[in-house]
Amino acid sequence: MSTLAQASLLDRLFSRQEGSASRNFFISALWWSIWGMGAGMLAGAEFSMPDLIRNVPQLSMPHLRMWHVNAVAIGWLSMGYVGGIFHMVPTLCKTKLYSERLGNLTMWAWNLVMAGAFCTLLNGNTEGREYAELGAILDVLVVIGLVLVAFNVYMTIVQRKVKKLYVSLWYFLGSLFWFPLVYVIGQRTFVALPGLNDAIVGWFYGHNILGMWFTTVGVGMMYYLIPRYTKAPLYSHGLSMLGFWGIALFYAPTGTHHILQSPVPEWLKAIAVISSIFLLVPVLTVLTNFFMTMKGKWGLVATDMPLRFAVTSCMFYLVTCTQGPFQATRWVNWYLHFTQWVVGHAHLALLGTFSFILTSAIYYSIPRLTGKNWHSEGLIRGHYWLKFLGFCLMMTSLTTAGLIQSAGWAMGFPVDQWSLAIRPYWFLRAISGIMIVTGQLIFAYNLFKTLYTPATVSSADAKAKAREVKV
Amino acid sequence: MYGYRLGAIGIVTTFFIIIFSTVLMPMVLFTPKPSGRGNDYTAIPLKVADAKRGRQIYVREGCFYCHTQFTRIQDRGYGPLVKEGDYVYETPHQLGTARTGPDLTNEGGRFPSEWQKAHLIEPRKVKPGSIMPSFSYLSEGDMNDLVAYIQTLGNKRSVTSFVQAPDEYLLTTPQGRGLAARKSVDTNSDAAANAGRGIYTQNCAACHGLEGRGNGPNAITLEKKPPNLTRDFYKQYPDEFWFYRISEGVTGTRMPRFQEVLSEEQRWYLVAYLKTLPKEHEEVVDSLDKLNVVEPIHLPRLTRQQWEPHHGKE
Repeated sequence: MSTLAQASLLDRLFSRQEGSASRNFFISALWWSIWGMGAGMLAGAEFSMPDLIRNVPQLSMPHLRMWHVNAVAIGWLSMGYVGGIFHMVPTLCKTKLYSERLGNLTMWAWNLVMAGAFCTLLNGNTEGREYAELGAILDVLVVIGLVLVAFNVYMTIVQRKVKKLYVSLWYFLGSLFWFPLVYVIGQRTFVALPGLNDAIVGWFYGHNILGMWFTTVGVGMMYYLIPRYTKAPLYSHGLSMLGFWGIALFYAPTGTHHILQSPVPEWLKAIAVISSIFLLVPVLTVLTNFFMTMKGKWGLVATDMPLRFAVTSCMFYLVTCTQGPFQATRWVNWYLHFTQWVVGHAHLALLGTFSFILTSAIYYSIPRLTGKNWHSEGLIRGHYWLKFLGFCLMMTSLTTAGLIQSAGWAMGFPVDQWSLAIRPYWFLRAISGIMIVTGQLIFAYNLFKTLYTPATVSSADAKAKAREVKV
Repeated sequence: MYGYRLGAIGIVTTFFIIIFSTVLMPMVLFTPKPSGRGNDYTAIPLKVADAKRGRQIYVREGCFYCHTQFTRIQDRGYGPLVKEGDYVYETPHQLGTARTGPDLTNEGGRFPSEWQKAHLIEPRKVKPGSIMPSFSYLSEGDMNDLVAYIQTLGNKRSVTSFVQAPDEYLLTTPQGRGLAARKSVDTNSDAAANAGRGIYTQNCAACHGLEGRGNGPNAITLEKKPPNLTRDFYKQYPDEFWFYRISEGVTGTRMPRFQEVLSEEQRWYLVAYLKTLPKEHEEVVDSLDKLNVVEPIHLPRLTRQQWEPHHGKE
């Protein structure tokens, strides 16, 4: 403590302490998740009570939605992912992070982006492009942040002490190459493409922020975490390579399946549909690998909470990635497109799968980064059940609402004829939002109590022990 | 690290091939010419309200999260199908991803501007059951521009038949041809309309009101209110669509299937009568020019009778 008090302001803001960048990224991610998910909850409530808030432009549903999407995508998931990468890459390389100070600088830049996004998006200062709403300055800052992260991680890899790269590193390195490029292409900040070309590039980005960043880093984290939880070696490194190259080849061209029935070129739609179906191959190989690694260890799920988060995430990954290819085929898309089913699918991927694996990574990493055990095991269980049940409720209500909408569109009925029928599901969705945000608040409280309780000697030992576990 | 050179080259190459094929190639190969049906917002003369600025407000308020702007082949009654050249001036694109609200591709001219404004301010007063947020915080200027933009949507698509009955009522199918062959009533004649009047009074007026304004005594008890059939929108209904609606009712509402009650001939008489219902809102806005010339936009008085006889629950 005394050293911290004497440290200069520079050292306190841009700490050189090992693991500080990763920890700070996790804390920031959690902070923005509460604001982002809270906005989602409020927007969900406005579906069932449209006159809940009036005459406040910042809290109208579309503005809340812009902020919700950006806060959970760029704030919660991306910042948490960087935190995870900053912890996992040095551990897998048996070395230190190239520069903790640079990492902390990136963390502040990223927080600046989020603060800017909060101020601009809620006021409707948007570029009007879905998932790329951020303004020009913030876009540039995000790219700078991503490049700094990539630089830091690549330099760490260069300094590694183990020769062979574990498959998680393949995923992290690939993602840090793909995502900055996808982001630069997808923003279209400084270009004005004609309508449909704008849509083609926009969905290349809109799908690949998921495909080349959330999926790849999330799967990399699963590859890191599951063998550690189960203390069993990975089932097959060959399969893991097959899965990696499958994602690298087939994920990126799928974007056009979002506009399958608009007048864009047919050959582009064909590429998108075919690659979408091929995605079943990497998904199934990846999950086979995980589930075979879990073989004989399924009982651990009962007691090991981080493992339970990870396994739940894998299960949701299986569901979302079997839904996806089928939704992308023309005849299923014909029926399901434009409905809340798709919203349910998006939440299944980002909330069910990647939010759960990130939560698992935070629960796993924080004791190893700070040397403190979690404040309360009971709160972790409470968080799990609130989030899990809340998410299941959200998923079922959105899916059911989507099927009702689909039936309405397919029969050619106007909106106001079937909109009354889905009111109960809007209501259930609002309740599920409250459950999920409560879970996240419990998570944040638990983290706060953990960090601000002085470390005991025994937990310092625990840290040392935890560091020794290597795959 | 040199052991991974091949892998790194593989990742970079595959990704650039994908960017080339799905991002760069469409930009070169897919350059649709303006079809003449999309709106060039810079070319619209500025009179009362600015449609170009209205589009920016549409973007700013995030309308595209719930409203789409492309019709699909299976969207019956949405007007003409969009073509690739319609979108040349649409940057950023507003195709949209979800239809929580209706599709707006051909929205221009469907409702009077004052209705659009009332709907933006008090969505549930003019459309009971709607879950659209109220945009009452928009300034007068913003609101006028936004309405001007909405009124341009799809305006240049030539509308021959806006709504179309299902195929089994049209001449494209054997059933439809049979129906037309059996039809003995001239639905444009006064005699047929007079014959239909009695049938209407007996069967329809209880809910739809004597003049078709949707204000019959039964309407009070219905959650989904009967429509105001005097609106402009209903003036473009072709005979087959009226016939289809009368025969098969309207799912999701209490409108019954009258083919169970009325004979085919009686239903055709009814069609003839419905076509003679009075027309509300004589000032039809079907192009921005007319909007700018005819209508200095006023904030509507939201008296309940003026906009919708039954305005839902208070």
